[in-house]
This record gives sequence, structure tokens and C-alpha cells, in this order.
Amino acid sequence: MGLLTRTHATWLCVCLISTQAQAGDWELALDVRAVTSDGRESFLDNGQGKLRFDEDHQGIQLGRLRAAWTQPLGEVFSAHVEASTWDDDDKNPIDLTEAYIEYRPYPRAGVRSRLRLGAFYPPMSLESRAVGWETPYTITPSAISSWIGEEIRTVGLEGQIDWLGTRLGHSYDLQLTAAVFGWNDPAGTMLANHGFALHDRQTTLFGRVGAPQNDPDFPKKELFHEIDDRPGYYVGAQARYLDRAVLNLLHYDNRADPTVEMPSIRDFAWLTKFDAAALRIETGNGWTAILQALDGETYIAPNGFWIDWQFASQSALLAKRVGVHMVAVRFDAFEVVKRGDPTASGSEDGDAWALAYSFDPGKHWRFALEWLRVESDVPARVEYLGEPAFARESKLEFSARYLLSGSF
Amino acid sequence: MREMSIPPSTIRLRCATAAITALLGCTSLGHAGPLVVTAWKHDGKALAGAVVTVEAESPALPSSPPEHATMDQVNLTFVPDVLVVPVHSTVQFPNSDVIGHQVYSFSSARRFQLPLYRGKPYPPVIFDEAGIVTLGCNIHDNMLAYIVVTRAPWFGRTDASGKWTVPNLPAGRFRLRLWHPLLNEPLEVERPIDAGAGEQRVEIRLSRSLRPAPLTGRPHSWDY
Repeated sequence: MGLLTRTHATWLCVCLISTQAQAGDWELALDVRAVTSDGRESFLDNGQGKLRFDEDHQGIQLGRLRAAWTQPLGEVFSAHVEASTWDDDDKNPIDLTEAYIEYRPYPRAGVRSRLRLGAFYPPMSLESRAVGWETPYTITPSAISSWIGEEIRTVGLEGQIDWLGTRLGHSYDLQLTAAVFGWNDPAGTMLANHGFALHDRQTTLFGRVGAPQNDPDFPKKELFHEIDDRPGYYVGAQARYLDRAVLNLLHYDNRADPTVEMPSIRDFAWLTKFDAAALRIETGNGWTAILQALDGETYIAPNGFWIDWQFASQSALLAKRVGVHMVAVRFDAFEVVKRGDPTASGSEDGDAWALAYSFDPGKHWRFALEWLRVESDVPARVEYLGEPAFARESKLEFSARYLLSGSF
Repeated sequence: MREMSIPPSTIRLRCATAAITALLGCTSLGHAGPLVVTAWKHDGKALAGAVVTVEAESPALPSSPPEHATMDQVNLTFVPDVLVVPVHSTVQFPNSDVIGHQVYSFSSARRFQLPLYRGKPYPPVIFDEAGIVTLGCNIHDNMLAYIVVTRAPWFGRTDASGKWTVPNLPAGRFRLRLWHPLLNEPLEVERPIDAGAGEQRVEIRLSRSLRPAPLTGRPHSWDY
């Protein structure tokens, strides 16, 4: 990583060399699904369907097989690796979704700094709070989180400063975040090609996702490449009121040069910028409300001819937890507008309702049942597939997940 | 508890903040007697778990002898949530969870760090200064607990009915303090007793509501 400073590299080496053997923590989770779906051909198979499991992928399916490992490296460093398989003919049968080293010194006088180096999610989604960047409220995350899981990954260095007010007798904690990153220049290509989708299929670091039309040479998109040698950045702020409310703000700009193309993956550096806001409120009697909003734009400029896609999505979730039972309902709205024309191929407009019940009886098992309906108007369906632009897709999905964890 | 002759009592009450209302009542019986403290929330319900300390101002009395206490970590929670110990006490911090914890305090009364561990690898921590020590885990930010280190000869926590009792408080001048981790304001009640008091009753009703209690029952695989 060219972004690593000499000082950080020196500290990292000292830490690694001086590390005594310490026990690491591991997790292994198998998530099996039973699905009924009338979804159009999924975006994962180069279709314009919004669901992960379409009508050709019903019955018993592998939701996810996930392995995670956290290894302390000395007193204040640790390494974390997340690997998953999704059983959908990706390039690598098992691949990484996150892998990073964290520097987390002890707080002093109520202030703590943290550094992460590697590949990880930006601190953005307030619903993806369970292990493996999953949402505990539903099986399928919101359109916003689905897109983040599909296209966005920080491959770089992130720094955070926490003011731990709750440790000083106050009711608030504050956090500032800043990061520089690379290797995410294609981010935006999926929004332009198939728009938002609702799915829990996170793109792996060396994997691929579907393309808008079948291309025998380049059937899938690869998202984690550095194309223009220009680092991107994001800055964020978070405020917490005790453990009851969290407000999260993030500004993201990958600073890509949209005139640069990478022939080996047949894609451009997509200049993608967005602002994201999220609010989560929890009450003492088990209610949770999560509001999320995303607003941004992405560009390419083949031969200097700029094309822009404006995108936006909003999400509102309400959940009620009673002991080990939880019911959640969520509404998503999403929109992509290409060059100011909502009827252009590449634009879309849609919304989705999700209703889920989950049963979380202990540290091993989690069961969930989810009904999801997505309505979308996608002009590209006419151009690419000869289908009507409008589609109403729905699925009923049951998930049984078994989680094992331990240390070694 | 120490036996002393009890002179007629006078009661003086001082609140550190004007927003707090405390009600005192006493009955002079001419000899040492029990002290009964009752704490009420703003809404009139009993305030359970409040830490009450009673220090002797005149005559000066030594603090309680040091104790060997334990602050455990179970299911990503400190147990108990509040520990009250005399000065010079030692506290052991076992980790009963499978996963590691990294305990710290940056409170002025006692700064310390216990590098990532499982089980009981470290010797107990000594607390030589009075004050409130806030505990955290550097890995799991939702873990929060307190150790109240006191020089008071008498200390304890109110029960479910908001009561805490000293069976036999001698005569003298005392300072009573009440503290709760969810208190929105500091509270200090000073209570001199000249002599010969019988049963002393102190009733404290908060003038402001408490902060919301920490959420419980969320799956441990969630962040906070």
C-alpha cells in the first residue's frame, strides 16, 4: 500500500515482530435458505432483476458460508479477516470481504484514536451491525446497504478519533472519521448498469458481480481496482446519545479520473461522490427505528464526453424486539437518473417493502423469515431484454443460520 | 459500627445543585440509633442501586478496612455494574467470557490498563484514592461499569425499595453522599448530628429524571 507512511509501517513491523503468541478468535457461520421467488433474472446473472434469488433460483439455497478470524498482534494491534462463499459461480469459490489491521490504543483523558489499514467497509450503515456486516433486522439489507456491500470497500487507511463522553459522566460520545483509499475506481458502474438492488450478496475483494448484458469476454464486473492512481477520501462524523441514539454522517469521493479506462477489465474509473446520513434510535422497550439517506452522483467521460448518473435512496425501518423474537418492517425508495433524463436507459425509479420475523434463541442459531417486494421502473429492461420497463418482484425467504465461535 | 452517646440532633442539608430536593426527618431518642436512607426518583418511584456513603466529620473516624473485591466480565457485561469499596481495597478483574477483554480506566482516582486477556492472568488492582472510577473495555465499547472508592466508614447501595440502612449510627457530624450512575446531576447531602440522635431518617427525592438505563438483551453479535 503506497498510502502507508513510513512511521506507520515502522510501528506495524515493531508490533508484528514483538508479538507474543496470543489467542485469536474465530467464527464460522453457515446460513441456509429456503426461497420462493418470482424475481426477474437476477443482476448477478447479468439480468435486470432486483433480487439475489430470482425465479430460477428457488428452493434450498446457500445463503452464505462465512469464516472470520481476529488475531491480536501485541497489545494494541489486531488483524481481522472475513472470508465467505456464496455458491454462485464467482471467480473464486471462497474470497475475502474484509481484511485489515487495526491499531486501537487505550483512551487517554476520554479521547481515543483508531487506525485501520486494509480493506473494510466505511462506517456508514447503522443496520449492518451484526457480525459479517449483516443486518440483524431482516435477511435482505436496505437498498443503500445492498449497494455499499456490492460496490464500496475502503482499501486504504482510515483514522478515527473518539471522544468518550459517556466515560466522563456525559450522555454523549462523538467520533470523527477520515480515510484515504484506492482500488475502488469502478464503484458506480453497477448503479449505472443495473441500478439499485436489494440483496445480501456482498462483493468479495477479488470477485465479480453481474454485468448489464451478456458479454462472452467480460461477463462480470470487477470492482476493486486502481485505475487512475488517484486516491479517494471520505470524512465522517458520528454522535451517540448513550446507547439509545446514533447519528452518522459521511461524505465520500473516490476522486476518480473518469477519462481513464482500464482495458483489462473493460471499465472506466467512475468518479463517484455521495453524502450519506443515518439515524438509529432504540428504546428501552425494544423498539428500533433506523432512517437512512444516500444522495450522490457518478460519472464517466469516454473520449472526454461526460455522462452523469444521479442516484438517491432513502430507507425507513421500524423493528420491535420482544426477548428472542423480533419483527421488522422496512420501506426503501431508490432512484437513478442518467443525464437528467429519468426515461433514459440507465435511469430507474423504484421502491421496496420488507417484512421480517427473526428468532434468535442463543449464540448459535438464528432463524428468520422475510417477505420482500420490489417495484421498479427500469428503461434498460426494454433496451437490453425486450421486456417491459416496470417489474414487480417478490420473494419469501427463510433463513437458518448456525454460528460457531471460539478461540485458538 | 461504632457505639457513641447520642446528643440531640440537628439537621442541616446542603445540595450541590439547587435542582435537587432532599427531605430529612429525625427523631431524637437520646442515644445512638439507626440511619435509614430512602431515595426516590423524580417520578416518586424508588431509586434502587444508588450508592450511599456516610463519612464522619466530627469526630474523625477511620474508613472501613480494605476489602478484596471482584469485578467479573460475563456475557460482555461487567458484573456488578457498580462496586463500592473502601480505599486501599484490591479488586480482581477476571474475564469469564470466551473472548478477550481489555479493561481500562482513565479516571483520575485510578488510571490503569489490563492488556487483552482471558481468565484471571493479572494480580488485583489496588485502589488507594477515593473517587469514582469508570471502567471500560477497549474492545467492546458498550461495556461500562463503575468502582466507587470511598473513605466512608459506612457505605452501601439502596435496595429495590430505595432504602439503605446503617443499623447503629453513633453521635457526631456526618456527611452523607448519594450517587447513581444514571444521575443527571451531582448530589451531595451534608448531615451534621450534634449528639443523642435516635433513628435518623433521610429521604431524598431527585428533582430531575435519571438518564435512560443501558439497553439489555440485545444479541451479543450486534455492535452497540
